[in-house]
Amino acid sequence: MPFDRIRLSSFRNLEDAEVLTQADRVFLIGENGQGKTNFLEALYYLSYGNSFRGSVDAEAPRRGSAAFSLLGEVRAPGSADMPHESIRVSYESRIKEIKRNEKPVRDRKELVELNPAVVFCHEDFSFAAGEPERRRFFFDQSAGLVSAAYIDNLREYKRILRQRNSALKETRHDLLPFLDMQIAGKGIELMDERSRLLAEFDGRFALSFEAVSLLGAEVRIRYRPSWPSDLGIEGILERLGSRRNEEFALGTSLSGPHRDRWNFTSEGTDFAATASTGQLRLLSLTLRMVQAEYYTTATGRLPVLLLDDVLLELDRGKRKRFLDLLPPSGQSFFTFLPGESWEDYQTGSTLVYEVRNGRFED
Amino acid sequence: MKALDELVGLLTRLPGIGRKSALRVAYYILKTDSSFSEALADRIRGLKGAICFCSSCGAYSESDPCPVCSSPSRDRAVICAVEQPQDVVTIEASREYRGLYHVLGGLISPLDGIGPEDLKIRELVGRAGNGEVTEVVVATNPTVEGDTTALYLKRLLESTGVAVTRLATGIPVGGDLEYADRLTLARSFRGRTKL
Repeated sequence: MPFDRIRLSSFRNLEDAEVLTQADRVFLIGENGQGKTNFLEALYYLSYGNSFRGSVDAEAPRRGSAAFSLLGEVRAPGSADMPHESIRVSYESRIKEIKRNEKPVRDRKELVELNPAVVFCHEDFSFAAGEPERRRFFFDQSAGLVSAAYIDNLREYKRILRQRNSALKETRHDLLPFLDMQIAGKGIELMDERSRLLAEFDGRFALSFEAVSLLGAEVRIRYRPSWPSDLGIEGILERLGSRRNEEFALGTSLSGPHRDRWNFTSEGTDFAATASTGQLRLLSLTLRMVQAEYYTTATGRLPVLLLDDVLLELDRGKRKRFLDLLPPSGQSFFTFLPGESWEDYQTGSTLVYEVRNGRFED
Repeated sequence: MKALDELVGLLTRLPGIGRKSALRVAYYILKTDSSFSEALADRIRGLKGAICFCSSCGAYSESDPCPVCSSPSRDRAVICAVEQPQDVVTIEASREYRGLYHVLGGLISPLDGIGPEDLKIRELVGRAGNGEVTEVVVATNPTVEGDTTALYLKRLLESTGVAVTRLATGIPVGGDLEYADRLTLARSFRGRTKL
């Protein structure tokens, strides 16, 4: 749902202010370090209750302050005369409080269902060329955007994993068989859901990536579960049992969905190993495009898109094709450096702000 | 005000009581009739002396054995294993269950350093193997730790020959599908029954 108004207080370097955002596209133009990304981070906080930069809440208050507060007014679904919904995220005395229409939100997954944002940012590069954990994060996030049950299952799996790792560290031979049964059962559920996600993602991704990159070779997503998908619960239990001594020695679980791999292949080989930096950058952008598209297909709703300097690294042709293929959104926020031809990207209603020293000027 | 601060400090150690609630309670005690605060203090002081653990099932009781364990009308062939003493009170309030209880005193959780040896599991196996018991109902919560404990008990009790069952999980009676959380709904689907 689109944001109509954001109220900022003590957040990063942004000046305390109320910023009107009632437009299809909002452009933030400014030099580096002026606060453009901080504003997108504020929107992300209002969408998910945390930062997309992987930073902790304690880093978000303005220097010299220990607290921050953000208030977003979002357009409620339905008729135009429906009253706005409000989302408030405040942080004080190391306690974060999230409220929707002034009522406490007990679980952040409630926010995900209300107002998800899809962020395109520099850190996404790691989806293409970073550690496997980053790709697992991306695909888990994609599944969680459309299914709160997936978030619940993943949390439960991680809880079992922590219990199992603790039992391994304490060499609790007596408890491992039971934790094996639990981790195998929950693991199979996660693997099934990830396989279904792959089926939804792969075709869309291959088409979109080719349409923007014009590479001429098909790039596909490959999901390699740590446990072969046809193993079944008995086979998994057997496999876990066969590595028992190794796991006791290392004090950690060596297999399971927490070790699943996602990668990208072209003509049967690992695409990331041979791709150029530009191609990898484009790959990560395409993943975000497909994430937004998948969300809309699965839920029938439009996400808010946050695009942080993403056009900067694309040549003119790719930039145009990327924007042409950008899935429909409830609202889009773009950041630009001064001198970029942002005028070319205006559509419908566009609001333009210059951002200077954390201050927003029309 | 030292006396007030000390009381608030103690109250905040109680479960579910934050500083604001503790202050409200403290101010209420301060302004109310002194007979109330004296009665409250007396009851708190006397609580531990008046309530003991049943030496058979481990439930809270004013007598040992507890009224459930000593009642001739209870079904001695069924034992319901629960995590903590207050679970007995909750199940008793349903008036559905007519068997005996066994309080485990916690759940297996390697993360918290709690293993089977820290719980009253040996005692449960002893009771289940007395020849009279035919079923043990595991009534642990449907959490990771509750599941681990249930699986552990099932394996252990298999040798005694008693049937081991677990409480069903799903949509609450009189509840509305609309308000059920997804995990509960998912479990309900998995545990659906034939009509």
